[in-house]
Amino acid sequence: MFALDIAAHTGPWRGRHPAEKALLALGLLVCAVALPTWPAALLSGGAAAVLLAAARVPLVVVLRAGRVPLLFVATSTVPLLVSMPAPARLAIDPAGLPLAAQTAGRSVAALTCLLLFTATTPLSDVLPRLHRLGVPPAVTEVAALTYRMLFLLVESVGAVRQAQAARLGFRTWRTAYRSLAGQAGAVFVRALHRARRLEEGLAVRGYTGSLAVQVAAHRVSVPFVAATTVLLGAIVTVSTGLVSPW
Amino acid sequence: MHIAEGYLPPEQAAAWFVVSAPFVVHGSRALVRQVRADPDSKLLLGAAGAFTFALSALKIPSVTGSSSHPTGTGLGAVLFRPPVMSVLGGIVLLFQALLLAHGGLSTLGANIFSMAIVGPWVAYGSYTVVRRAGGGLGPAVFAAAALGSLATYGVTVAQLALAFPDPVSGVGGALAKFGGIFAVTQIPLAISEGLLTVLVVRLLSRTSGDDLRRLGLLRPAAEVRA
Repeated sequence: MFALDIAAHTGPWRGRHPAEKALLALGLLVCAVALPTWPAALLSGGAAAVLLAAARVPLVVVLRAGRVPLLFVATSTVPLLVSMPAPARLAIDPAGLPLAAQTAGRSVAALTCLLLFTATTPLSDVLPRLHRLGVPPAVTEVAALTYRMLFLLVESVGAVRQAQAARLGFRTWRTAYRSLAGQAGAVFVRALHRARRLEEGLAVRGYTGSLAVQVAAHRVSVPFVAATTVLLGAIVTVSTGLVSPW
Repeated sequence: MHIAEGYLPPEQAAAWFVVSAPFVVHGSRALVRQVRADPDSKLLLGAAGAFTFALSALKIPSVTGSSSHPTGTGLGAVLFRPPVMSVLGGIVLLFQALLLAHGGLSTLGANIFSMAIVGPWVAYGSYTVVRRAGGGLGPAVFAAAALGSLATYGVTVAQLALAFPDPVSGVGGALAKFGGIFAVTQIPLAISEGLLTVLVVRLLSRTSGDDLRRLGLLRPAAEVRA
């Protein structure tokens, strides 16, 4: 399984209704992206970081999940610090620093808010509720099937890779490419085999086209929603300058 | 190459949702029609989505010494066709954002446009052109995977350039800056993905010929003999 999904399944917020966690984390995300970056990014990102700690999400999970997007942010911020006055000529542009800081700050804050949602809300709780947002049931069912199968397939990729490495399958570029093709081929065969087995299993159970599953009932906590509304309201108020924080 | 969460300014992020929406709606309608006509196809589509996601778990050795993962859009488009890929790609990108924090929710529209719409259409178009010109399966699949990956990279660079034009030379300068910084990894990656996809299809032709015939990638045996 993926570290973020494990954290979501095992964390103390597991029993909370996905809608209230979405209101909190995605509300903060919208504030981080849509409001003026300073101070909205600091407030939203800071609140999300504190809430990640409150939800007892291990720091190592957050840092590991943040590595790839932060690398993108770092790389993509470099062009904002230089200008191109003539073709093939680059010059350091000090005026680009505020924009680079604003963009990186917004992105890091939004990423922290996204991690708050993903590390506290299992995807299996979200998918069956997507049809309430207008997503066609056929699409949500395909998404749910994809979710169920991908763990097996990603695990297969890992197992095949380990077996190939033990047989020196990555010794040269040539063998590495052959091994990678083997991994993709194994996954393709396993995916279709899995689909066929599911088809047969459902057929003998009288499958009529509906893949409805029982969804665990969670009650929406009124105090949680009220506290979220107050927090979001405060961030909006401070960020839009209605109340000076200083 | 996923644009990270919150990286695009809000108005640009919203605009890419608007641009992607018609393609995703069209793909969703095609998917709903297909599922209504054949409820069992839902399982194959689920498997196709999981396969596309799993492709991103492959680690291609990179010239920079690290490793990158393929986009999988080329192979996906050739196997499952671009309209379905717009939905499956959207689902995979949503999962990558929610399970791995790769990409994001605010940048989902932009990432869908580059990776689930333009990439698959360019890949499928390249595949069709090479096949119609009399090219073999290998060159067609290479063109699909490599050009699909390059198109994805090109669109992402254009999205970043539109969001952050150069103060002196405008969008053109920004294209050169962003394109230059990502070309180091993305161009070799596109060629690598093309080569890898050829090897995958060659392997599958030997081991899963019936499945490839059912998906329309290989001609039926009787037709080949005739």
